[in-house]
Amino acid sequence: MSGINQLKEKLYRELSDAVVEMDEERAAGIANIIVQNGIDAYEAIEKGLAEGMHRAGQLFEEEEYFIPELLVCSDAMYAGLDVLKPHLKVNEGEKSHKVVIGVVEGDTHDIGKNLVKIMLETSGFELIDLGRDIPPQMFVDTAREVGASIIALSTLMTTTMDGMEQVIKLLDEQNVRERFKVVVGGGPISQGFANKIKADGYAVNAAEAVKLARALTRGA
Amino acid sequence: MVVDQMTPIERISRYNRGEPVDRLPCVPIVGNTAARVIGVRVSQLRGNGELIARAHIEAYRLFGYDIIRVFTDLYTQAEAMGARVHYPLDQTAYLESPAINDASEIDRLQPADPYKDGNLPHHLEAMKIAIDEVGREVAVTGALTCPFTNASLLIGTENLVRLTLKNPEAVHRLCELSLETNLRYARAIIDAGCTPSLTDAMSSSTVISPKQFQEFSFPYLKRLIDYIHSRGKTVTMHICGKTSKVWDMMVAAGADCISIDNDADLLEAKHRVGGRVRLMGNVKPSEVMLQGTPCDVRKAVIECVRKAHDNPRGYIVASGCSLPTETPFANIHAMLDTVRELGFPVSVEALERGI
Repeated sequence: MSGINQLKEKLYRELSDAVVEMDEERAAGIANIIVQNGIDAYEAIEKGLAEGMHRAGQLFEEEEYFIPELLVCSDAMYAGLDVLKPHLKVNEGEKSHKVVIGVVEGDTHDIGKNLVKIMLETSGFELIDLGRDIPPQMFVDTAREVGASIIALSTLMTTTMDGMEQVIKLLDEQNVRERFKVVVGGGPISQGFANKIKADGYAVNAAEAVKLARALTRGA
Repeated sequence: MVVDQMTPIERISRYNRGEPVDRLPCVPIVGNTAARVIGVRVSQLRGNGELIARAHIEAYRLFGYDIIRVFTDLYTQAEAMGARVHYPLDQTAYLESPAINDASEIDRLQPADPYKDGNLPHHLEAMKIAIDEVGREVAVTGALTCPFTNASLLIGTENLVRLTLKNPEAVHRLCELSLETNLRYARAIIDAGCTPSLTDAMSSSTVISPKQFQEFSFPYLKRLIDYIHSRGKTVTMHICGKTSKVWDMMVAAGADCISIDNDADLLEAKHRVGGRVRLMGNVKPSEVMLQGTPCDVRKAVIECVRKAHDNPRGYIVASGCSLPTETPFANIHAMLDTVRELGFPVSVEALERGI
């Protein structure tokens, strides 16, 4: 292995560790070293930051990490990303699939949605985050406008689940249902509910959401 | 059709003493479905103690369950401390914005006065009316949102959970302020003749780690429960989502009964902590109670009873969490009717043949 490759691998590993160890300053510091050494930013994001979030996601699945850790890992990841992003070449990531994500109307619980967003973003998807308390029509309008592949709907409350079905009905009415994959998640949501409202998929947590999104966009 | 032979108070006190009862205690955790029972919009309950009381008394009379819980939402104490709550016309209220957005603003917060602030006085009024009207036959409780969860409503959940790692001291200050509000509200609830019913959604292992529970939830829960015990009341405590890794701490904090969600298993709970604590749960509120048929409810109830009816410290048939507002009445009746048919003592044969 050449010197530069050894250096690259070492820095990627350190970047990944900084994310897993929730160290924002170190993530930004290593990202700066990467930039100074003229190392490819895209590769550093993929093999360093995203790899770190992937490991954090695994620790979350294994119940070593919980929501606080995952959020603070993502703070470190974004700190590194802020440094590296300006150094991306323009065409990179161009073909990434777009995901319109939000919490349905009547609900302001958004931690679950934010975690899914973070994990999808680090897995190479481009996220359009509408936020929380979002009317069904806005999901449809935004997805059409940006040419999204996936519409991701979240809710923690049983009272707002119907908003999810409403989004699918609107897509049907406007004859654009087949253009988008609709995925749902959140506390009261189940695979059974997803089937009932004819959603394309359900994921139980953020890590599963990545697998689902990949499966749904494969070959697309 | 089997009918109840005892009032809830008779049933539960006999059950506590190990004496024969007509059936297991049963508590479908009715929330704003109570508004449906009296045909009012959910938002009409806001600031109207008389109407809150009417809704919960009539819901109790309609279904015949064993504990009344005066409840509209989890935000009442945080609202009384400055959080903003949105009241949709006919759905459960939700948090519009927390009281503060940054740890630097904590000094602005004051514990609430339950007789003056927010909607707390109306909830206390509802409890008094309920205890006057039906307090001789059924226990009346008032929903109380525990310190860590209340803290999450004061500063926002995402903020709070980040602070557990980045600024633990700030979390402790928020929990301390919340505890003070809790203690004042608990005192007022008990002075009204009722019992606080504890909920601590955010202390779930779905959100924070057992280690964080130990650091940020446990000490405050323990002080709250010690106070309630000092007033001669027992404590039922609910935590949503995954909880198996914190059951021991819930028991160590002093809970007499733990209400578990459907992310947890009654059988495991019985084996692990059933000798020290009563169990309550865990028919799925959304999948079964809201979306299922009475037949689905019946099956789910039998399954729960099979797992937990012989719990050493007792078992209350219940939903895993508060019922969604639109839960069909037929499903709530089905829960009670199944428990009535199973009778007491519950026979294994009856369970085997599905009654």
